[in-house]
Amino acid sequence: MPEGLKINKGAQEAVRELLCSLLESGRVNGVLALGRTRGANGGVAYSLFTDSDAFVADGAALPFLPFMPANAGGLLSRLTLKGSLAGPVAAVVKPCELRAFIELVKRSQGSLDNLLLISSTCGGVYPLDVGANGGLEERLPRYWEAVKQGEVDSDVRPVCRACVHFVPENADITVALVGEEDLDTQCTLFLDTEKGAAFVKGLEGLQGTSLSGELETEPIQRSHSQRAAYREELFAGVEVGMQELIRTFGRCIGCHACKTVCPICYCSLCYFDSQDCEYLPEIYESELERKGGLRLPPNTVFFQLGRLAHVSVSCVGCGMCTDVCPADIPVSTIFSKVGTSVQALFDYQPGKDVTEEIPLMTFEEEELAQVAT
Amino acid sequence: MEEQEFTPKIVGFLCNWCAYTAADTAGVSRLQMPPSVMVVRVMCSGRVDPLFVLSAFLRGGDGVLVAGCWPGQCHYQKGNFHARRRAAMLKSIFETLGLEMGDRFRLSWVSASEAPRFAEVAKGFTEEVKQLGPSPIWDEVFL
Amino acid sequence: MNDKGAILPAENGVEAAVVGWLKEALNKKVFDALLMPVQVPAGDSFAYLLLQNPALLENGSPLPPVMPVQGARAISRLTMRGNGSKRIAAVVRPCEARAAIELTKLEQAHLDNLWLITVDCPGVLPLSDYLDDPAAGAARFVEASQHWDRAPMRPVCQICHRFSMPASDLHVGTLGSADGAVFVIPGSPKGERVLESMDMPVDAALDDWAAQVKEMEEAQTERRQQAHADLRAGIAGPDGLLDVFSDCINCHNCQRVCPVCYCRQCYFESAALKLPPENYLTRSKRKGALRFPPDTLLFHIGRASHMILSCVSCGACEDACPMSIPVAQVFRLLADRAQETFGYVAGKSLDDPLPLVAYEMDEFHQVEQPYVEIYHKREVQDA
Repeated sequence: MPEGLKINKGAQEAVRELLCSLLESGRVNGVLALGRTRGANGGVAYSLFTDSDAFVADGAALPFLPFMPANAGGLLSRLTLKGSLAGPVAAVVKPCELRAFIELVKRSQGSLDNLLLISSTCGGVYPLDVGANGGLEERLPRYWEAVKQGEVDSDVRPVCRACVHFVPENADITVALVGEEDLDTQCTLFLDTEKGAAFVKGLEGLQGTSLSGELETEPIQRSHSQRAAYREELFAGVEVGMQELIRTFGRCIGCHACKTVCPICYCSLCYFDSQDCEYLPEIYESELERKGGLRLPPNTVFFQLGRLAHVSVSCVGCGMCTDVCPADIPVSTIFSKVGTSVQALFDYQPGKDVTEEIPLMTFEEEELAQVAT
Repeated sequence: MEEQEFTPKIVGFLCNWCAYTAADTAGVSRLQMPPSVMVVRVMCSGRVDPLFVLSAFLRGGDGVLVAGCWPGQCHYQKGNFHARRRAAMLKSIFETLGLEMGDRFRLSWVSASEAPRFAEVAKGFTEEVKQLGPSPIWDEVFL
Repeated sequence: MNDKGAILPAENGVEAAVVGWLKEALNKKVFDALLMPVQVPAGDSFAYLLLQNPALLENGSPLPPVMPVQGARAISRLTMRGNGSKRIAAVVRPCEARAAIELTKLEQAHLDNLWLITVDCPGVLPLSDYLDDPAAGAARFVEASQHWDRAPMRPVCQICHRFSMPASDLHVGTLGSADGAVFVIPGSPKGERVLESMDMPVDAALDDWAAQVKEMEEAQTERRQQAHADLRAGIAGPDGLLDVFSDCINCHNCQRVCPVCYCRQCYFESAALKLPPENYLTRSKRKGALRFPPDTLLFHIGRASHMILSCVSCGACEDACPMSIPVAQVFRLLADRAQETFGYVAGKSLDDPLPLVAYEMDEFHQVEQPYVEIYHKREVQDA
């Protein structure tokens, strides 16, 4: 049974206190978490905090706000790409962001050294346009009510409602949120690793009682079934077939925003932006001769299928792609659906185990015999 | 276009050491083969980037064949193991999205000394693709 | 060249007239191919098609209600590596034509075998508005454009004062079209030759049309200046700008859809801005916190410093922003002011050299003066 710490304060308050104490005591040099920006709209962005004032009652930090302006896994990669952290930094991230980061570490795009990873069981996030229109604040009470009941608010993104990986893997500390009815008065922190326990042990300003408990409570299991059912429904709704794909991506404007925000798409120069895709006029003209017409800029469907070939094996279903699409294409639903199939093929779970190799980087001598004919 | 007149355009990525050699021998030995396979010689089946396969289909290819050494016999030891995984992944993508490409894509192992086998693979796959007909996106404008 | 035009009958409306005219041109082999917006199969958007098959013109639209892809990007993709052998007519909006001209100066497009054909433009709807209900959007657009009512259009379109003849080869003048006819006005020898091959005599007087255009341009210019004044008050100082961009998620959509931003790898995504963790932590300590990823404002002001002199105020950036930041409004203010400084209008003419490439010996002394005064004085004193 994992070791836990029960604190007699509401979850938001308890976590702020934890982070405040970690900073003040010098146990960490910084904390990456969501925070208020200056915008009148109630803008929110991830911030690297070094001043503990951010974590006092009305401070700028908003850990566990149900919003994802960027996939924090990509941000952790940005932070540790050019070198490991010299001293400890804590990061408050959602389960999918953590999984994305593990996938990036496997690709040498970041380092886990000196990172104290704090996550939580996740009730999903709201779409970007809700935040853009200042609609987060008014939804919060209803959001947390749903979380307490182990449910997902109906305004939360579809991919979040369909997420079955909402219990974090590889966190050092997991805050129990989903299904915790007394969230307003009590908070349980699960100390998943020795590192997590060491950071918290004897931390001044943090009062709690030790306990042993299961993270996967009955409400969590219930939520899992509900979300699995919704997932099946959501995936079944994807229109399949080449003509349907052409229709779905008819609106695509080739902005490649989906690629830019995807944590797994880390290439500094994407193939589809490279010289390889800058064709001579003769190429366009010969296709024109054959077909009588061709769409410009070219490669709309090629980009989507190509990106699927590149990332589906590690897609964590974080939903940033759908959120950012200016043409309202449900990219994440399609990518998650394909990702799930490809991952099942290799019996692979992205983000679960940092020592597990990416399926396309390894092989078994005897396997997949049915593929070659 | 009548079916018997339809000669599929199959892009064939053949590994230099095994499959290409077999194909070359088959040609030199005058073994009967349809003229449908447009050969692209690669050093190893492991060189075949999934994007090559996608590009071949999206430019109107009726079929794509990737052929290499038998597992365990790869000239570079491991290339074909990776090719197998990539092919499996591509097929999974095609199947999940309901794309006919899954049926039009074939991975085969043909060693250098198996010229008749190459001719068989070429004939057999050509037949399969003929049955499927020309690529449905041959003249698709909104790709 | 601008005082006479050819007449194109348009009893069934401008769209039908232009499409019919282009079909004829294609059939007569005046052009080998057309590049124009066509409705996509699902009917919920428009995409640029390079087409040879006249049947594809059935769903063609020279003035679609939205601009999902900036036409100059399509032109650039096609011609970036040189001129093709086919003669292509590109039907684009004035701002797209202007962007194409800027891209040609930047060597990202070649227009030798391409004819730019433009139409008087009433603006386009915001993309997200249209996507909510494409059919309703299309109807709203048709209604509004018939009366030159810019209220439903994008903010940048509402104050556009360059909606008529840019330096295109042929321009369809629709303002004040009476008797169900519009003008086709040649803007270049290339354009003139097209009208000749189509037996369209360039002998109609354009006074009426020109007067209406002028009137609208003046009204729009006034609206534009007012909008600029209002905006500037709101964004002045670092606080103002920080507020405007506070919601930015650094997706860089604005840069990607911008026709002028053509770099394969944007500087702001390059290794230059990927730093060791100590850098970020030090910066964070200085202020107590560092927004992550950092350099949001640097990206926007930096991008402006790179492209503002060629910005054509097309508004593609604002359409693409997932956080509804008024990027185009800020950038058009910057563009107007910056281009004014050089007496330059982006996309006006291929013959106008890019301001940062050309120079005079004697200019902009006001920028250099303080240095010269201070240090020259000192030198003279010390001597």
